[in-house]
Parts: sequence; C-alpha cells; structure tokens
Amino acid sequence: MALTDSTTESSHQRVTEAKIVVDGLSKRYDAHGGPVTALDDVNFQVGHGEFVCIVGPSGCGKTTLFRTIAGLESPTEGGIYVDDERVTDPGIDRGMVFQNYALFPWRTVRGNIRFGLDRPTCDCPNCEKRVQELINLVGLSGFEDAYPKELSGGMKQRVGIARALAVDPDVLLMDEPFGSLDPDTRDTLHAELLHIWRETSKTVLFVTHEVEEAVTLGDRVLVMAADPGRVSEVVDVSLDRPRQRTDIEFVEYVSEIRDSLGQ
Amino acid sequence: MSLGTATNGDDEVAAFEFIKDTDRLRLGRGVVGITAFLVVWWAGAQLTTPSYLLPGPVVTAVAFVELFVQTTPVALPLLGDVAIPTGLFKLGQSLLHYIPGLLLGGVGGIALGVSMGWSRRLDDYLTPIVRILRPIPPLAWVVFAILWFGIHHTGAAFIVFVGSLWINFYGAYSGVEGVSTDYTEVASSLGVETDWQMIRLVILPAAAPSVLTAFRTSIGRCWMIVVGAELFGAPGVGYEIINASNNLAVDTSVAYMLVISLVYVGMDVSFRTFERRVLAWR
Repeated sequence: MALTDSTTESSHQRVTEAKIVVDGLSKRYDAHGGPVTALDDVNFQVGHGEFVCIVGPSGCGKTTLFRTIAGLESPTEGGIYVDDERVTDPGIDRGMVFQNYALFPWRTVRGNIRFGLDRPTCDCPNCEKRVQELINLVGLSGFEDAYPKELSGGMKQRVGIARALAVDPDVLLMDEPFGSLDPDTRDTLHAELLHIWRETSKTVLFVTHEVEEAVTLGDRVLVMAADPGRVSEVVDVSLDRPRQRTDIEFVEYVSEIRDSLGQ
Repeated sequence: MSLGTATNGDDEVAAFEFIKDTDRLRLGRGVVGITAFLVVWWAGAQLTTPSYLLPGPVVTAVAFVELFVQTTPVALPLLGDVAIPTGLFKLGQSLLHYIPGLLLGGVGGIALGVSMGWSRRLDDYLTPIVRILRPIPPLAWVVFAILWFGIHHTGAAFIVFVGSLWINFYGAYSGVEGVSTDYTEVASSLGVETDWQMIRLVILPAAAPSVLTAFRTSIGRCWMIVVGAELFGAPGVGYEIINASNNLAVDTSVAYMLVISLVYVGMDVSFRTFERRVLAWR
C-alpha cells in the first residue's frame, strides 16, 4: 500500500489513488529575529487507508505540518489536497486528535462524542445508536455520563478518538495523541488504535517524536529534520502487526530512523 | 455509574466526615464571632449618649420586627386595597427597580461582552467607547436618570442597569477571550461552520464560569447602587434608611440595613446553588 519514493520527487501531477497529497508545501513566519522557515518544500502522499507516522525532533515543523493539513493554518507556498480537493479550512473529512485531548469539559463522555452529530445540518436518524457503538468501540461503556474531569488520561484520549470518529471522517489526524500517557496505557492504546484502524479503514496521519511509537504503528515513517523543517527520509516499515519491540528487525528500523535523526 | 463513585467511594465517605468536622469547627467559631460582635455592639450602645447615635442590638431587633408588624395599605390591581407589612412594601419598591436594572444590565452586558469578545472587528470599533464609559461610576449617571426618567423606578432602574451592564460585560468579555482555541479548532473539524453555532455550542458553555461569576458579583453590587439611587429620592429601602434617620429613628434605619443584608444573603446563596448545579462539570 505504501507509495514508495513519492516523497523524493516533486510530484506536481497528483496520483489518483493518493488520499492526501502534500505538494511543494512551504510555511514561513515572521518572528522576532526575522522570518523563520517552518517548512521548506515538503512533498509526500498518503494512500487510502494508509497509516503514516511523522517523526522528528521538536522544532522540525511537524506540528505546523499537522495544522496545515488540518486546515488550521494556510501554506505560504504549495498546497495540501485531500481527494484532489485543496484544503483551505478544517472540515469533517479530517478528524483531529490532540495531545492535550481538548475534550469539551462541560459535556459528558456521551456529549463529547455526540458533538459532531449534533450539528443542525446533520441528519442522523440513529445518533444514539452510533454514539453507543463508538463508546463500545473505544471501551468506555459504563462511563457514558462521566465528565472529562472524572477520567484518566487514557480514557480522555479514547473519548477524543471516538469524538473524531463520530462524523466518520476518511482521515484521522493525530498530533502526539499519546504523548502525555504512561507507557503501559500507551501500549494499550497503540493496540486499540490499530484495531480501530483495521475496523474502520481510515487513513491515519500520526505525528510523534517517539521513534519506537512510529515504528510500532506506521506503514511508513516520514522522518523530518529541522532548520528548515523538511522531510529528510521516508522509511517503509514492512513488519507484520502486532510488532514486537524486541524483534531484531524492529530494532533495526528504530536505529535506522535514529541515525537519520542524528540521535 | 461514574468513575468518581465507582473507585473513590470509601475516600468520599472519609472526605465527607472530614468536611463535617471542619464545618462544625467553623460553625462554632462563627457563633463565637457573632456573639462577641453583639456584645461589643451592645456595650458600645450602652455607653453612647444620646442613645440615638448608636441604637443597640435589642432596640434594632424590636425595630426590625415592627417593620413587619406595621402595615401599609396598597392599592393592587385586581385585589384592591391590601394591607402589606411596611418592610415588605418598601423592599418591593426597591425590587421594582433593582430586578429590571439587574436583569436588563445582565442580558445587555453579556450580549455585548460575548459579541466584542468574539468579533475582532466589533472589538476594535467599540473598545475606545467602552474604555471611556466603563470607569464612570453608575451613580454619576443619576443626572441623566433624573433628566430622562425622573427619579422614580425607571430612573433608579437605569442607574442599576448601568452598574449591572459593565460588571456583566467584563465577565462575558474576559470569559470569551479566555476560551482555548483548542475547543474552537476541534469544533470546526467536527462541522461547526457559522459564528452563531460556534458561540452557542462552544463559546457560551466555555465562558459560562466567568459569566456566572460576574452575574453573582452584580447581584451584590446592584444593591449598593440601589441604595445610592434611593438616597436621591427613589422610593424603597434605601430611601427609608435616610428618611428614618432624618426623623432620628436610627433604629429603623439599622433595621432596613439588615433587610438589605438578609435579602442579599438569600439571593447570593440561591445563586451559588444554581451556579454549582450548572457548573457541575468543573
């Protein structure tokens, strides 16, 4: 499924199978010490149903890349295309999951998951059923009426994922979603996310700074470098899931990426 | 059902016992404090001559009871002439300008604060005006209250309105400004498109704690303003405070002061209860 080498060539013609096309993307800011190039000519594609991880040190522009694909920031040059449509705004075709969960604290678990279904424009004859299915999918049955303040970090992020899935987006954008969780919870959620990904066949773009997390999850890993922010390497991870961190091949992938990151 | 009760049942019982103990302690200290206050008040009154300069607690209590024993005939629509306890009648007169002023100021202030907090352009236009008008003490508007409405219920309500407006404006404005962009970003990825949807579904609930705190503040502040407005002649409890002391019935003045205090405490406690229920998610 991985589209190899698609990142190295500046792909001005868009491949039709690609779900997401990042085409000649540059982003410059005016900062105090003059202009800063957060992203410099970033090119890559993500196929339908592909799970792609973006890994890089802090300051490499991976969050800027995430926010631009989400439509929260606009590119200085180049563009993002989802299903050949240029991204200009956030939309329900791209669900977002954040490191700090960003749950609505005034809504219960059920209320948060329902949020996207409550829109006046949304005709949804079976909202209750769909919400309950999502609650079951992320393993939160019994906590439907709890407020976010009553939940652990892992449970909060399960709500965050279910809330993003509620409007059935084709793409799931995740910005270090498990970054504030303890290692055990993170391992559990890795398995659950992969399960959800298989069940729903979403296209996932997953930003992280943890190399092992990227190798555990991704079909492909985009390695980013800083100053200016760019994709320095693309690694296809051809390992069966579930992946064991102690496997020789796993360790080799990790060290290959670490070398590329200069760690 | 919820995590809190499922896992922390024992802790909660322990916590409640602890609270009960400290509550008992606080209650005991409060009783000691109020007793000491009454004794000092009583002693001070005994030593003061002439006695009307400081009516003691017993005299005041008698005057307080009299407020509700004496009646004032009032011509009510439908019911005709009804004898109403004088204290309640005067309180009712104050409420006739307090409540409309408080509520109109609250609605107006919250609407203005939310609009300016949300719309950058509106904020740019209106901020200079707000900067100039907001520091003016509400009672300074008494000039226009008299000129435009006359110093009766409408005039006094106008002054209360001005006070309530700015308190609620600021609570709503700062509440909206403090709403995390995370919420609006997530909401827009979940299909919220119009400003009104965003305000209704995200901004108002997120700003609710700040809005409600400001409204609770305005409940107290507007009582101060009511008394101030009534010193200029609007009928009500505040007017009676001055009126009674002009007749050297200072004990009645203090009794009316207590009426205001009790009404305020009642409103504050009720509103706090309401607030706690609405903001149970915090």
